[in-house]
Amino acid sequence: MKSFNKISKTLTILLLATSLFSCKKNDNNVTTKPDPTVGYIKLASGYADGAATKVDVYAKDSAFTGYNKLYIALTDSVTNEYVERAEISLMPEMNMATMSHAAPYERPASSMAQNMLFPCSVSFIMSSMGGTWTLGVSVTNLNNSRSGKAKLSIHVKDPVEARMFSFVSPVDSAKYFVGLVPGAKTIVGANDLELVVYRKMSMMSFPADSSLTISFVPTMPSMGHGSPNNVDPVHTSNGHYKGKVNYTMTGTWKLAIKISKGATVIDSAHYFDFTF
Amino acid sequence: MLAVLPAVGNAQEAVRNDTVVAMDEVVVRGVLSDQTRQIKDFYVANKAATTEDILARMPEVTMVRRGSYGSEPLLRTYNSGQVSVLIDGMRIHGACTDKMDPVTVYVEPQNLKGINIQTSGVAQVGSNVGGTVDLRLREPVCGCDRSVSGAVSSGYQSAAGYFYESGQLSFSKERWAVRTNATYRMAGDYRAGGGGVVANSRYEKMNAGLSALYKLTDSWNMKADFLYDDGYFIGYPALPMDVGYAAARIASLSLMKWKPEARWERMQYKVYGNTVYHLMDDTHRPNVAMHMDMPGRSTTLGAFGEASLRLGASRQLSLRGDFSATDLYASMTMYQPGQPDMYMLTWPDNRTIQSGVAATYTVRPDTLSSIIVSTRIDQFSSFLTTQDARDQLTVLQEHPDQSVNRLLKNLSFAYSRDLSEHFKTVATVAYAERMPTQSELYGFYLFNAFDNYDYIGRTDLKTENAFKGDVSLSYSTSDVLVSMTAFASRVYNYIMGVYEPTWGTMTIGALGVKRYANMGYGNMAGAEAAFVWKAPRATQVVSTFRYNYGTDDKGTPLPLINPFRNISSVRKKTGRWTAQLDAEMAVAQDRVNVAAREVRTPGFFKGNIRLAYATMYRLTAFTIEGGCENLFDATYREHTDWGRVYRPGRNIYVQVNCSF
Repeated sequence: MKSFNKISKTLTILLLATSLFSCKKNDNNVTTKPDPTVGYIKLASGYADGAATKVDVYAKDSAFTGYNKLYIALTDSVTNEYVERAEISLMPEMNMATMSHAAPYERPASSMAQNMLFPCSVSFIMSSMGGTWTLGVSVTNLNNSRSGKAKLSIHVKDPVEARMFSFVSPVDSAKYFVGLVPGAKTIVGANDLELVVYRKMSMMSFPADSSLTISFVPTMPSMGHGSPNNVDPVHTSNGHYKGKVNYTMTGTWKLAIKISKGATVIDSAHYFDFTF
Repeated sequence: MLAVLPAVGNAQEAVRNDTVVAMDEVVVRGVLSDQTRQIKDFYVANKAATTEDILARMPEVTMVRRGSYGSEPLLRTYNSGQVSVLIDGMRIHGACTDKMDPVTVYVEPQNLKGINIQTSGVAQVGSNVGGTVDLRLREPVCGCDRSVSGAVSSGYQSAAGYFYESGQLSFSKERWAVRTNATYRMAGDYRAGGGGVVANSRYEKMNAGLSALYKLTDSWNMKADFLYDDGYFIGYPALPMDVGYAAARIASLSLMKWKPEARWERMQYKVYGNTVYHLMDDTHRPNVAMHMDMPGRSTTLGAFGEASLRLGASRQLSLRGDFSATDLYASMTMYQPGQPDMYMLTWPDNRTIQSGVAATYTVRPDTLSSIIVSTRIDQFSSFLTTQDARDQLTVLQEHPDQSVNRLLKNLSFAYSRDLSEHFKTVATVAYAERMPTQSELYGFYLFNAFDNYDYIGRTDLKTENAFKGDVSLSYSTSDVLVSMTAFASRVYNYIMGVYEPTWGTMTIGALGVKRYANMGYGNMAGAEAAFVWKAPRATQVVSTFRYNYGTDDKGTPLPLINPFRNISSVRKKTGRWTAQLDAEMAVAQDRVNVAAREVRTPGFFKGNIRLAYATMYRLTAFTIEGGCENLFDATYREHTDWGRVYRPGRNIYVQVNCSF
């Protein structure tokens, strides 16, 4: 009987707690807009002075050597509201002791924000070990038609497993950068494999390159086996090459990349490692 | 074949040409019971025999042997996907991707009422093309003279330093009865013929059963069964790994009616559940390239109902409806020092839901002949149950989210006729289909140590469909029984692994990857014969023969087909003594499947001698048995033994049994 009382008390408390919780939920109808940056890391912050606009740069991960998907949030520095219409251009720059150079990038594809953020990318071709990376962000705020430029300092580290490599083609002596576009969570199964290729025109210009043929072989070095049914990446747009890689188990996989121009193999010395 | 033996007990099964080996003499009645007992003694060669030892002596059965325990029973020329093995009509799926846990290990002979083997016609208990082995469990008996009875046995065998202990205890009251049994077996690495010790052939296991029966009315009984089986280390010398731990729990609740002469003569309803857990172990092996864990689990829930309806003196209808759902999962985790764990699913989590109905109609147009029409329809649906499983199979398929649905249809006709007082003949023709196995559908780099290939499943496999026929002729008098059966079948869409030259292996040391595919067809044929003679001076002679033959549609021999074999035994009883001489022989098998990396198996001859002394003290019966198996220490293996591992050499055994 005693224990029965105890149980019924516990039940009462539980029921009360549940009803409290549901009341709270009902009161919460006056919602503010959800924060679009939840789940992102803020890499840098600054003001585009002439545009009266605050510029915040977000990413899923801290900046690393390789292809970084970035998300720019613009805020009106007077009203503190998100600016959702703007022309944005990028100018990444590496300042070293004796020289400086730029990096490949993709400016936001549209002047309309997606969920209040402007997606874009920068491929940092080296880490901050060698100098200082800055990201220039030029903004034309289409709400107030004013323009300005922010110069943001970004710290770039080398990832544990390399996500970009470069080589010089024996065919045209051009230097190419090949980066891995981070995809969804890696699974045992079929995974999208997206690579991006840039060609170095000058210290300041790295246009996307669509002229190469890419193939790859995944292997598991600790066991010596590969996987079946992989699809070589083919060019889609803007230097992006899309294919499929199959992982048959968790662990460390090595993707040996072979790059050809026409019928000539121009690089087969590089690989990407994946551990999951 | 041997069909007429239990003819009196169950006419239908006899006409359908099934073999029923009754372990419990009580269930066999009639004029042939003496010979039936001989057959039973012939199959149960010694009291420590396992269920698989008993099966191995039956001419229809082929045992695929990978270790000293846990051999897989096959029927005639059919492979493991084509044969169903059930316990009391219950479906149980092994939890091992390498078939180390055949269902037959869960029933100890002392818990067996009988073994029903159906080879011809349509299986009533489940769609298959090869036939059914159904292990029928013993039932507690109400209203016995003694309310408490039991037995204990203890034995030792020299070849493996093997100990066998078992006990059985029964309670019997007017309205209820309980039966319990337990068996413990422990064997060391055995000594093969000629002297060499076979490493990793030891095993240890514990089995227990509990069965309770309650009489609801004169004709209705309720019964609950529970089987418990644990294996702690079971060596598989023919495989790269052993079983570290295996556990099965099998439970059922039945409602049974038996009312002779009633319109609904026999009825049974059963609900059941079972789960098998399996853990492989490579820690006892030298030179393991990479240590790995391979756990697996299967869970089955099911129910069935059966009824026999008398439609008059000469017509009978048997009906069955059943349903089952089986969940399977097996994975592999590989460990390499300094590397992250490597994990994959070998049986991606999947569920198979099966429902079927079956009917058998028996009519006797005259007193000499009978016609039996059997049919069964099954609906199968298999699908993956977790996102991890679906993700993983995107490596192989475009649509791992789609379920595999198959409707299976089966039909058979049997005609039996008494040609004279002593001669009887039965002819059967059948069309049968079977569902691809879970390994054939979803297997993911399953290493097959038989041919050293990794096997991969595919979900677009078609069902195998078989056209089968057999004829038997038997001659029986009160002293002699001779029976012969010849069979032939063609299995279309025969499922086999086909080498995929462009696919890389996963298993270190594997030769390549094979993927299951439907071949054109397989042709199979064979014959079985038995001779039983109740000779003068309490002497009995039993001899069985079998021959199997199989090719694919290009004339290549099918793998795992045993050659001609004969087992003969002479038994003589003098007072309290019984002596028996056994001979087993097989000719060489030269017809081998090269793609499966089979090699020729030489013929062999093996002799056994057995002695038993039985005595009574008050109400307690004592039996002391002893003998020597493989008397001449022959170095031999059978063709369906994996890994070219030789069988045990000379084995001296003693066994003491006491029952009260």
